Amino acid sequence: MKKDKKMMVLFLGPVVILFAAVFVYPIIRTIMMSFFAVERPSMKIAEWSFNGFDNYMKIFESSFFKTSMVNLLKIWLIGGIFVLCIALLFAVILTSKIRFSKFYKAAIYVPNVISAVAVATMWIYYVYNQRFGLLHNIFAALGLEELSKTKWLGADMIFWAMLFAFCFSAVGYYMLIFISGIEKIPSDLYEAVLIDGAGKFKQFWYITLPLLKGVFKTNITFWTINTTAFFVWTKMFSPIQSENGTIVPLVYMYEMIFGSKTIRTTDAGAGAAIGCVLTVCVMIVFLLINRFIKDDDLEY
Amino acid sequence: MLPCHILLWLWIGFAIVCVLWILAASLSTSGEIFRGEALKFATGFHFENYIKAWTQQNISVYFMNSLIYASISSALLIVICAPAAYVLARYTFLGNKAMKSGLVMAMSIPSIMIILPILNITTALKINGTRGLLIFLYVAVSVPYTVTFLLDFFSHLSRTYEEAAAIDGCSPIKTFWKIMFPLAQPGIITVTIFNFLGIWNEYFMSLVFASVDAKRSVGVGLFTIVSAMKQNGDYGAMFAAVVIVFLPTFLIYLLLSQKVIAGVTGGGIKG
Repeated sequence: MKKDKKMMVLFLGPVVILFAAVFVYPIIRTIMMSFFAVERPSMKIAEWSFNGFDNYMKIFESSFFKTSMVNLLKIWLIGGIFVLCIALLFAVILTSKIRFSKFYKAAIYVPNVISAVAVATMWIYYVYNQRFGLLHNIFAALGLEELSKTKWLGADMIFWAMLFAFCFSAVGYYMLIFISGIEKIPSDLYEAVLIDGAGKFKQFWYITLPLLKGVFKTNITFWTINTTAFFVWTKMFSPIQSENGTIVPLVYMYEMIFGSKTIRTTDAGAGAAIGCVLTVCVMIVFLLINRFIKDDDLEY
Repeated sequence: MLPCHILLWLWIGFAIVCVLWILAASLSTSGEIFRGEALKFATGFHFENYIKAWTQQNISVYFMNSLIYASISSALLIVICAPAAYVLARYTFLGNKAMKSGLVMAMSIPSIMIILPILNITTALKINGTRGLLIFLYVAVSVPYTVTFLLDFFSHLSRTYEEAAAIDGCSPIKTFWKIMFPLAQPGIITVTIFNFLGIWNEYFMSLVFASVDAKRSVGVGLFTIVSAMKQNGDYGAMFAAVVIVFLPTFLIYLLLSQKVIAGVTGGGIKG
């Protein structure tokens, strides 16, 4: 096709400008900032003073930061295994010619379109409530007195309560990606093993699972991006002051920049360092995924 | 098959019970909720909870803000991103590949990497807490997703349309707006639904950049309401606020669920 220079500049221009202004420049500046002593984000570059790795030393010495990274790791690993397993299970069920599958798919995806604040409010003020909550009532009705008295939002349970609520909402999205992957597997492959007398489980193990490698990669990538942005749920589960049970890096960074009850002196430089550490972690995860899950570009 | 149905119903049933209970609680007094009698409606339906939530609690303001942010941003996104996606999908030129992978990379960068410098600029310009800034930011951060989604869509359209238009002497720019843009309508609608829902529910940007209450969107607004209601123990109005925030996106989804579900795996997402 003939190229039209004027058209290309006109059509690409706005996107290039926005991209440079909101991604390229800020990322470079954040990386720089992480090596300087910067108190407030509003300070000009002239007011920064270089301090090498001090910001990194500071955050790595902070026990709050370590806790937040451990929490994020637990969310990513334990939550990830849970979400991807349930999502895969539902995907397999919903692609097995089950009735009402359209309804089930749509219903399981619902939490993804609702404001997380509304969903979290439902969990905190209803499901986990100790006096009139759903879990309290269910366990009481089953005669499990001990369980019905559990303080779901107490210090030892709050992390798991938060993680479960977060995962419940997340499953639908990953399920849909699995479903579309399974639907792309040609049915004659299944017919072939059916003739060989393979049962449902063998079909899943020898056909579905190996052919979903690429989809797993997609899902792990999205899960990683999704969990590093973990913020609202922590804010909801401990709204006034962040606690060891719920703190995550993004919330810690927010408090570093804007201050909080526990952090009196703000430190934007350390905030930038947290951002860089998190980004490096994400990059390492991506590298590992690409290393261990090879795209063998299967041709069906 | 039966165990499968039961399993799915346990999952969905749990969500339905929760939603129904929230609806019931939003029509009850706080006393009834605390006594665990939200489903009895012993004193009738308390619609005043909704009036209270709507008028006293600023929810109408947050609601309008979210509507403004979500609709204007998603419209602007199409005007900006559709032409760019078309050029990237159709023409080969130096830097095309780099731009595509740059956009994909931008989608995986944690948003905390960009907010500090932006905050620096916006503080210097004294534009924090203005609607224009939030719309600008929502547009800018949604560009990578929107372009990538539409790129995939345009690359699947046949080239014969443009060839026919070129023979008839139609300029490339005109060809795009008159022929290719309308042809991409299904993709444009899907990506607009996602942008709209995403911006409506957005929390972090709104918290950081909408420094005044009057400019906040529903996510941050509801957070403020929930904290306030917890303080004065008005659970009825709190749940009414939750329902008000829940309904718009839920209704959109009810109407468009098949389009949304098909769109999740659209736009180059390998599923």
